[in-house]
Amino acid sequence: MSEGSVYVYGVLKAQAAKSVSSSGVASAPVRDVQHDGLAALVSTVEGGALAAAREVRAHWKVLEETSASATVLPVRFGTVLESEDAVRSTLLEPNAERLSSLLDELDGRVQLTVKGGYDEELLLRAVMREAPAIAAMNDDLRRLPQDAGYYGRIRLGEAVAAEVDRRREQDTGLALDRLAPLAAGSRSEALSAADAAFNLAFLVERDRIDGFSKAVAELAREFGERVTIRYVGPLPPYSFAEMELTGPGAKWD
Amino acid sequence: MAIAQATPRGYLERPRPSGLADVIDVILDKGLVIDAYIRVSLIGIEILTIDARIVIASVDTYLRFAEAVGRLDLREDESQGLPELMESVTSGGSKSKTQGALEGVKETLFGGDEEEEEEEEKEKAPSRSRSRSRSRSSSSGSSSSGSSSKRSSSSRSRSRKGSS
Repeated sequence: MSEGSVYVYGVLKAQAAKSVSSSGVASAPVRDVQHDGLAALVSTVEGGALAAAREVRAHWKVLEETSASATVLPVRFGTVLESEDAVRSTLLEPNAERLSSLLDELDGRVQLTVKGGYDEELLLRAVMREAPAIAAMNDDLRRLPQDAGYYGRIRLGEAVAAEVDRRREQDTGLALDRLAPLAAGSRSEALSAADAAFNLAFLVERDRIDGFSKAVAELAREFGERVTIRYVGPLPPYSFAEMELTGPGAKWD
Repeated sequence: MAIAQATPRGYLERPRPSGLADVIDVILDKGLVIDAYIRVSLIGIEILTIDARIVIASVDTYLRFAEAVGRLDLREDESQGLPELMESVTSGGSKSKTQGALEGVKETLFGGDEEEEEEEEKEKAPSRSRSRSRSRSSSSGSSSSGSSSKRSSSSRSRSRKGSS
């Protein structure tokens, strides 16, 4: 059973570990490896390469299933250790204290993600309306032939981008003002699309999700059609489990 | 959850269970990181990560097109539906080279699973144009570099999965 490399999904308290019915990467069954009250979810990987994209999906499914009933610290996608023994001796044992205290801290809490997106047309119209200098630049450019306006267009685009950034900052601030007081923690994550307004991760007590949801709906009303909100969860605390783990030999480093 | 989405006033009253597209960034970027000295490096993971990001970017683009097209009044020209639009938009230049891969990866990421199908109405657009672009990519795939062999292997594993 302990032969061969293992793929690692996440770490949780041993008493919370249950059998996982979702199959893992390369369709292998998921099991847990325990050490001193901690458990790591793993599955055997054969050969060297995991080249199929469905592995992302398998990773996600295993964590989704587990987090429905337990607090699990997700491990970054694509982590493989040498053997089951290595999971104990290099992951669980040397990091036991940090893992346990993070698990205690996150216990009973889930991640809820609130993403805001702009309607591009409404956003640009608002920029034009409220920044007369930009509107004037735009008017000037329209009078020029395409070729002549090249640098002008870059300057215009730059000015629009700066204005959009300023609005993002404002809207992110408003969302945090309304929601952060109802959460045990919050993180502002990188934006993945040009029309994104904000991407916020909140750590919320499981039994306070309803109250938080009300505040999200309230915030959406406040934004109106200017910002569309996507509200996703509950998720394992991905954004709150950022921690670099080292092996036993790396301590002097 | 499709129902929750259909009622715009009530859809924020509880969080939506995640679709892979919603969480791909946190899966790829967040969570516990294990020191490179302990980790076994697997060829494929890094490329896979990049692939997954490209797919998300393309799904995002499809969504925008779908929304934009949704706002148009198509009654005047019913022959020019969404699949045709998608085709003409994505078949130019370098995009057509990567499309085979995208379609393959996308299907493994998003397709073949009822759970998302019911919840992600956004996937309708890519799935409709899928079959055509796949056949085109297989005929052009052999001439390109190493990464395309990886792509075709991912679509092979997909069809194997489908038949089992």
